[in-house]
Amino acid sequence: MAFESKPMDMKGSAQKISDKDFEQLRDYIYNVCGIYFHSSKKYFLESRLSRRMEVTGSKTHAEYYQYVRGGATGSAELKKLLDEITTNETCFFRNMPQLNALENKFLPEIVAVKGKIGFKKLRIWSAGSSSGEEAYTMAMLLLEKRATLLKDWIIEIVGTDINETVIGQAKEGVYNSYSVRNTPDFYLKKYFKEEAPGKFVLSPEVKKLATFNQLNLYDDNKMLFMKSFDFIFCANVLIYFDAASKGKVVQHFYNNLQSYGYFFVGQSESLHGVNDKFKTVHFPGGFTYNK
Amino acid sequence: MEKAAMMQTAQEMVASFVDLPTIPQVATRVIELLDKPGVELDEVADMILADQVLAARVIKMVNSPLYKPAHEIKSVKRALIYLGFRHIRELAFTCSFVDVFQGRDGILDIKSFWEHSFGVGVVSKIIAQRVRYPDTEKAYLVGIVHDIGEVFLSFYRQDAFRALLDSVQGQPFRLVQKEAEFLGTSHNEVGLCIARKWNFPADYCEVIALHHAPEEAVLDPTLCAIVNIADLFCSVCQLDYGGHSWVSFNLAEEKAWSILKGYAPNLADLDVERFCYELEDRVPEIQDMVKSIFQGIGG
Repeated sequence: MAFESKPMDMKGSAQKISDKDFEQLRDYIYNVCGIYFHSSKKYFLESRLSRRMEVTGSKTHAEYYQYVRGGATGSAELKKLLDEITTNETCFFRNMPQLNALENKFLPEIVAVKGKIGFKKLRIWSAGSSSGEEAYTMAMLLLEKRATLLKDWIIEIVGTDINETVIGQAKEGVYNSYSVRNTPDFYLKKYFKEEAPGKFVLSPEVKKLATFNQLNLYDDNKMLFMKSFDFIFCANVLIYFDAASKGKVVQHFYNNLQSYGYFFVGQSESLHGVNDKFKTVHFPGGFTYNK
Repeated sequence: MEKAAMMQTAQEMVASFVDLPTIPQVATRVIELLDKPGVELDEVADMILADQVLAARVIKMVNSPLYKPAHEIKSVKRALIYLGFRHIRELAFTCSFVDVFQGRDGILDIKSFWEHSFGVGVVSKIIAQRVRYPDTEKAYLVGIVHDIGEVFLSFYRQDAFRALLDSVQGQPFRLVQKEAEFLGTSHNEVGLCIARKWNFPADYCEVIALHHAPEEAVLDPTLCAIVNIADLFCSVCQLDYGGHSWVSFNLAEEKAWSILKGYAPNLADLDVERFCYELEDRVPEIQDMVKSIFQGIGG
């Protein structure tokens, strides 16, 4: 799913949201979309809500809450609100706790399992890859292991998105400074070339590891072909699906994952109640799912 | 490693600790009074009032975001009215306990020890409420003291503890396992020896000794399991000794989780993802509370 990368707008004269209204809206968003709003993001939500309240003509947060809960117009509005609040999610090295756990625990674990049976191939899928930041982050991390843990391993990283435009951007591999804002200096110097101020070009070495294709996660036939992944990432995509579609898509992910693989969702997302086969595995700063 | 040998090592170690602090009278009395009828709680209030330092700490703590008073509370009397007797006992215990660890920053600093301990206290209480464990206050107090062995190990055995942490850099590990390897004992056994020295009740001793092996508990396996799970959750939610404890777990594989589900079958429906997110939300409150206790006492 495509998210624009633009700076967060924290200014403006947003109406202050009360604790009660915040909690009510947070519960609603969580129950419908499976995304949790931390209290620390209250002001962010406040500023994003003010735009939607203006458009929908809601005078208070309580009024907007009623609006967003009401029938077809409400669910269309909820999607627009989600667009507002998930904007600027995409960047390189977005989820550090997840990457740390991956590097220190999950990757060595899978390498050990596959190494034992002599199957030296790693398959990773970034589902809803947008312009490729997540897929390429993995590529860089794995490149660093080329001489050690992943010596002689074949690495396949696949990025898919429904939106052809962002797939094109991913293939191009040119980014602005906002996309690389979280990138550690080491990686920035090693794998990017700043061709012009704020124009970061990804090195061919990284690009070579990942391929990008257009894919609709609803497309059952195509989903059947996405086989045998060790890691699947799907951040902030499922939040847009209704309960039934979410269940179906997650079941595909479950089937497409190796028995020892891991499935990662976004930093504040939850699959609770969506699929009872996946088990939750906790690590410092987050959790993932496995079979 | 042989359990008896680990216990023997812990006993010798604790006997060799120079200037091991004594347990504050208030803390002992609070524990003693825990099972007594509420009327004797006046005594706790009197103890707080009689000790200015303690009173000041209680007031600081009650004004921290965790207790969310609408207006600043300036007297112990107000704090008593606001919180009710039950909470004041928790506060009296915690605040009196602060001194025990003052100046004993070892490889693990005291502030991160308190953040972890508070976190485990708070989360133990939340879990106790969810599973309808009858004494949620006790769950909180044992949560606070479950890791006392850790502070003393990291303070009195700094070289070995440093070597332990150096050996695991960048790799996932559970402290308790590494301690056995590097120190010949663990914070469980060391904690138990200290708890016995301080005359802690038997069920407190059991939690201190077995919070990593609740399936071995005899007196109160549910309580041990509550603290075990609270400990795991805190370790993945930034209340992890400043990152010195790297834990990964799957509830389905944890023995404590099976014990708790046996005790309260409704726990199987818990939204663990949300539970984690809500806990992350509370972390700053817990950190603020620790800060508020240490403010002005040079912690």
